[in-house]
Amino acid sequence: MGLTTPLMKRLARTIVAGMFVAAPGALFVGAAHAANYNPTETSRRNAGTPNSSIVVKNKSGTVIEYGNQYITYSAPSPKLDGLGEALFMENCASCHGTQADGVPANGTTGAYPDLVGLGPATIDFWVVSGRMPSANPRAIEASRRLPRLTPNQALAIAAWVNSLAPSIPLVPTPHLANANVSDGAALFALNCASCHTIEGDGDALASSTFSPSLRNIPAFQVVEAIRTGPANMPRFTGNLSDQQVLDVTKYVTTEIQHPNNPGGFGLGGLGPVAEGFVGLLLGVGVLVLVCYWIGERS
Amino acid sequence: MSEITATNKRARRKAEGRYGKVGKALNELDDRLGVAKGGRTFMDKIFPDHWSFMLGEIVLYSFVILMVTGVFLTFYFIPSSAIVTYHGAYLPLDGQKVTQAFSSTVNISFAVRGGLLMRQMHHWACDIFVGAMVVHMARVFFTGAFRKPRELNWNIGVTLLTLAITNGFLGYSLPDDLVSGTGIRIAYSIVLSIPFVGTYLAFFIFGGNFPGTSTIPRFYILHCLIVPLIIIGLVGAHLFLLVRQKHTQFPGEGRTEKNVVGSPMFPVFMAKTTGFLFIVGGFTALLSAFAQINPIWQFGPYDASRISYAVQPDWYMGFLDGALRIWPSWSFHSFGHTIPFEVLVPALILPGIIFTLAAAWPIIERLYTKDNEIHHLLDRPSDRPKRTAAGVSVLAFVTMLFIASSTDVIANFFHISLNTVLWLMRVTTILVPIIVYPITYKICKEMQAVHGAGKRKTPNIVSRTVEGEYVATPTPAYQDDRGHDLEATAVPTFIEVEPEEPNEGGVRTVDR
Repeated sequence: MGLTTPLMKRLARTIVAGMFVAAPGALFVGAAHAANYNPTETSRRNAGTPNSSIVVKNKSGTVIEYGNQYITYSAPSPKLDGLGEALFMENCASCHGTQADGVPANGTTGAYPDLVGLGPATIDFWVVSGRMPSANPRAIEASRRLPRLTPNQALAIAAWVNSLAPSIPLVPTPHLANANVSDGAALFALNCASCHTIEGDGDALASSTFSPSLRNIPAFQVVEAIRTGPANMPRFTGNLSDQQVLDVTKYVTTEIQHPNNPGGFGLGGLGPVAEGFVGLLLGVGVLVLVCYWIGERS
Repeated sequence: MSEITATNKRARRKAEGRYGKVGKALNELDDRLGVAKGGRTFMDKIFPDHWSFMLGEIVLYSFVILMVTGVFLTFYFIPSSAIVTYHGAYLPLDGQKVTQAFSSTVNISFAVRGGLLMRQMHHWACDIFVGAMVVHMARVFFTGAFRKPRELNWNIGVTLLTLAITNGFLGYSLPDDLVSGTGIRIAYSIVLSIPFVGTYLAFFIFGGNFPGTSTIPRFYILHCLIVPLIIIGLVGAHLFLLVRQKHTQFPGEGRTEKNVVGSPMFPVFMAKTTGFLFIVGGFTALLSAFAQINPIWQFGPYDASRISYAVQPDWYMGFLDGALRIWPSWSFHSFGHTIPFEVLVPALILPGIIFTLAAAWPIIERLYTKDNEIHHLLDRPSDRPKRTAAGVSVLAFVTMLFIASSTDVIANFFHISLNTVLWLMRVTTILVPIIVYPITYKICKEMQAVHGAGKRKTPNIVSRTVEGEYVATPTPAYQDDRGHDLEATAVPTFIEVEPEEPNEGGVRTVDR
C-alpha cells in the first residue's frame, strides 16, 4: 500500500494533467480541421445590358437612354461636361487623379478607386448622397454627411467622367406609380433586411463598416444604390428586374420612411433592446417607486 | 312621516345585527361552509410593513394581467402553420403568402377592436413580470430571506423564473414573424448542439426538421396551457409557504425571531394590495397605449430564406444572446462528429451553471457559514458583505452578458467597429464582475462602520423668531427608524364567538 498509494496518486495526477492538455489540443485539432474547409468561392459579374423596352442612341451610336415603364435610365447632358471637369479638378482630382483613373499626382496606385467606366449612376450616387468628397479619405468606409455639391453639380461630374468612356448604368428615374408595395416588402425582406435590418434603420456590420439607415433617402438614390452596389453593398443587376427594383424602392420610400405604424412611440426602431430598457427602467422602475410609495404608508 | 321612516330604518338595522347585510351574508356562509375560523385567521394574518416586501406583488399582478389579456388573445389567434394569402387591413402585406398564425396576429393588431392594446399589454406585462421577478429575487437574496426554513420557497422561486423565461420565449415565437422565426431557428440549433442526442432531441421537441409545421401548434399548447398550469401551481405553493412560514421582517424595536410585527391582512394590507393591483394594471395599460412593442407587421412573415440583421430576443433572453455573440468560435470536428462548443457552452452550459448556482445557494451558504439556525429576521445587505458582493458580482456578470446582446447597437450608435465592441465586451464581461466584488465588499464594510448609515435623514424645520433670528429644529426620526408602536391593530369581528359546548360523558367535542 505504501508504494501503490503515491503511484495511484501520481497516475491520477497525470490523467488530470493529460486531460487539461488534451482537451484544448483536441479543440485546436478540430479548429485546424475546420480551417482547411474552403467554402465554394462565388464570383459575381455584371449581368450585362438590362432588359429594356426603350433604347435611345445619340448620333455616334452611344446609348443615352434606356428603360421601361418602371425605371428609365438616362445619361446626363453632354452640355454639363465643362462644368463637370472643373468641379472634378476642384473636388476629386487630389485623390482620384486628373484622369479619374485613381492615380493622384504623387503617383500612388491602388489606394483610390479608378472611376473610368463605372457608369454615371455610380458617380452621381456617391456625390449626391454626400459621401464624396470624403471627409476622411483614409476611412474604411466613406460615411454619409450633408452633400457638399448640389444635385446638378453631381450630375455634371458624372457627365464628365462618363465622357471619358461612356458606360452604364445611367442615372435612373423611377416611375413609382407602377410599383407594387406588397411585392416590394417581400423582396426587401429577402434582399435588403439582412444588412439594413427589417425596419430599414441600418446597423454596424463587421470591421468598421456600416449599413446606412434608409429613413431619408430619395427614390432615385435607392435605385442607384441597388444598381451600382456602393462600398460593401452587393450590386443587384441580373437577379432583380427593373420592376422588382421599383417595388423595393416604393416599399422603402413609403412603408420604411412613412410607416403605417399604430401602437404608440416606435422606440427608435431598436427593437427588443429598447423595449427591454423601457420595460425594465420605466415599467419595473415606476412600479418599484409605487411600491415604495404604498409600502411606506403604514 | 319622516320620523316613522327613521324609526323603521333603525329597527331594520337592529334586526340585521351589528355588521349589517355583509355580516348577515357571511353568517349564512359560515353556517354552511364554516369559513369563519379560517377566514378569521386569514384576516388576522400579519404582514410586516416594508416597501420591499411588496415587490413580489408586482410579479403576481402582472401575471394576472398576462392571464386576462392572454385569454383575450386566444379568441382570435390561430395556432397553425397552414399557408394562406393575406388580404387584410395592412396593405403592404396584401397578397403575400403567410402562415395562419402570422395572419391572425396581424388581424388582432389591425382588425380586432382593442386587439393591439391587448397584444401590447400582454407583451409589456411579460417584460414587467420577469423584470419584477428578478428584482424580487434580488431582494430575497440580499436580505437573506432564503435561509432556513425558506430554502424550499427559494427553489420554487428559481423554478418559477426559469418557467417564466421559457414561457416568454414560447409566446414570443407564436406570431411566426421574421424575428420570432429566427428565434425558433436559434433554439433549434441550440438543441442540435447537444452532443450525441441533439438531433434526436430536436426532432422530438420540434416534431421534425426545421422549419416544420408542428412547431407553432406545439408551442401554443405549451405556452397557453401546460407551462401556465405549472406556474399557477407553483405560485400557489409559493404563497402557501409564505403564509404557512409567516413573513420575514427586518430587525427593529420589538421584533424578534419569535414574533411578526406588522399590519393585519384586513383591512390595512388588503387595502394596500388591492390598490396596488389596480395601479399595476393601469400602469401596464398606459405603457401599452403609448409605447409600441413588437410591431410584427413591419417584420413580415417568417421564411427560412429570409433574415433581418440586428435581431434580438426579448430582454430576459438577452443574456443568452449576448453569451452566444461574444463566445469565441471554438468547435470540435473529428472522428466524424462535430461538437459546437461555440453554441453548447454559452447557450446551455453557462445558463445551466448560473441557475444551478442560484438554486444551490442556500446550501452553499450553509456549508460556508455552518449556520443551521432558523432565521425569521432579515439581514441588512451591508451586514453580510461577502454574500452581497457575490450577488452583485453575479448580477454584474449577467448584466454584462445582457449588454453584449446589443453589440451592433452600441457599435452603430458610437460609430465604432463592431469587432472592437465585441472584444471590449469579451474583456469587460470577465473584468467587471471581478472588479465589482471588492468594491461592493468595501462599501458594505464602510456602511457597517459609519454610525447611522442607512437611516433616513429627517428634515430640519427652520423658523424665524419675532426678533428675526432663524432657528433650525430637527424633526423626530421616521417611524420605521425608531421602532414601532407595538399595540396590535384591532381587527373588526364579523362573527360572534359562540360559547363552547360542554363535554358530556366521554363524548369529546372537537372544534371544526
